[in-house]
Amino acid sequence: MYIVVVGAGKVGFYLAKRLCSGKHTVAIVDKDKLVCEEIAKELEALVVNGDGCQPRILEEAGIEGADVIAAVTGEDEDNLIICQLAKEKFRVRRSVGRINNPDNEHTFSELGVDVPVDATKIISKIIEEEVSFSDFVNLMSFKRGKLSIVRVDLPAESPVIDKEVKDVKLPLDSVLVSILRGEEVIVPKGDTVFKTGDDIIAITTVGNEPQLLNVLIGKL
Amino acid sequence: MHIIIVGCGRVGSELANLLSQEGNDVVVIDKNAASFERLGRTFNGLTLLGSGFDLRLLKQAGIEKADAFCVVTNGDNTNLVAAQVAKKIFKVPKVIARIYDPQRAHIYSTLGLDIISGTVLFASMLRDKIVESRFSSYLIEAKDLGVIEIEVKGSLSGSTIQDVNMPGEFLVVAIRTLHGVVIPQPETVLQEKDILMAVVQVTSLKKVRERFGLGEK
Repeated sequence: MYIVVVGAGKVGFYLAKRLCSGKHTVAIVDKDKLVCEEIAKELEALVVNGDGCQPRILEEAGIEGADVIAAVTGEDEDNLIICQLAKEKFRVRRSVGRINNPDNEHTFSELGVDVPVDATKIISKIIEEEVSFSDFVNLMSFKRGKLSIVRVDLPAESPVIDKEVKDVKLPLDSVLVSILRGEEVIVPKGDTVFKTGDDIIAITTVGNEPQLLNVLIGKL
Repeated sequence: MHIIIVGCGRVGSELANLLSQEGNDVVVIDKNAASFERLGRTFNGLTLLGSGFDLRLLKQAGIEKADAFCVVTNGDNTNLVAAQVAKKIFKVPKVIARIYDPQRAHIYSTLGLDIISGTVLFASMLRDKIVESRFSSYLIEAKDLGVIEIEVKGSLSGSTIQDVNMPGEFLVVAIRTLHGVVIPQPETVLQEKDILMAVVQVTSLKKVRERFGLGEK
């Protein structure tokens, strides 16, 4: 795929680097001349020095042939306008826009950014989880953070210990995937019995995480 | 009317005062508290500190009952985002944005935003003042039609408006004389030093120049 990345800060640079090694063709745009020179030395990508909010700079980056635009600058208004220009003016199929201020998430969705990525929210959520629950880990989020794979370590005081799976009522939209017991991987069935120290892997919607936690650990 | 103005620079503060003096409810938003000093002491509207597309701040500014929303910060992208938020999320009936970059101005006008962009207009006005002897253009960026000013001189004086007009191509709509501005009749006679204001088909500009002997300095 041909991908245009606008903004070569930490996020833009590592994104471009990963995409390049993933056999994609990448163009990267940044306002800062020095940054562009550094990147040109390091990456096999087309590097364009200029303001990515200007249509002619996007043209220089080959936007007309691009499959995806990723606007990852530190300014939300710039990211939004870059995504809009790419879609409306240059007919790029998919636009990914980085949100810096979580308050702007609604605006991004309303104004036509296909995939708004709220880095601040994602990172603070991970940190919040790490800080608050030691026996609950979010392994992965997908569908823009709406669905998660989580791991729960069952403590001795868990209300489900010695209960069978079929007797435990899980919250809506939550599914048990597997139980890790020592070296053993158990695919849970109705008569599987929970034991202290089991690692439960489950898929859940983000909104139901607290309820799932409540059922399995008995606290929030 | 309840009017929200984002950006309290020279234009924003002037506009805020004009509208407020006419009895409108005006709310001015700016990121920088010092900008509000431009409003002067007589301004009796509301000022709010923050971003022009912060949804909470806009609600606080009463955007849900606003009749008009005008965004004139010096950031084109801020203006474009704020204008779209006002139009698409809050459905404000009248939304206007000032945009400096002609390319972005053109693209977003075609997407349905009401945009005022002075850059090309202003540059071409300045160019005409520098280069042209008796001619200056306005609104040439409107693409098909332009408004031009021509100074009456030589053979042109003594002609009537109906001699001068070129149907479908060039139409004099006002004459600035020593005594004021008049709307011409077909039989109005042109005097030396009158300034004609005319609507012109942009494609006919060359023909008009030749016809009236308009040269560059």
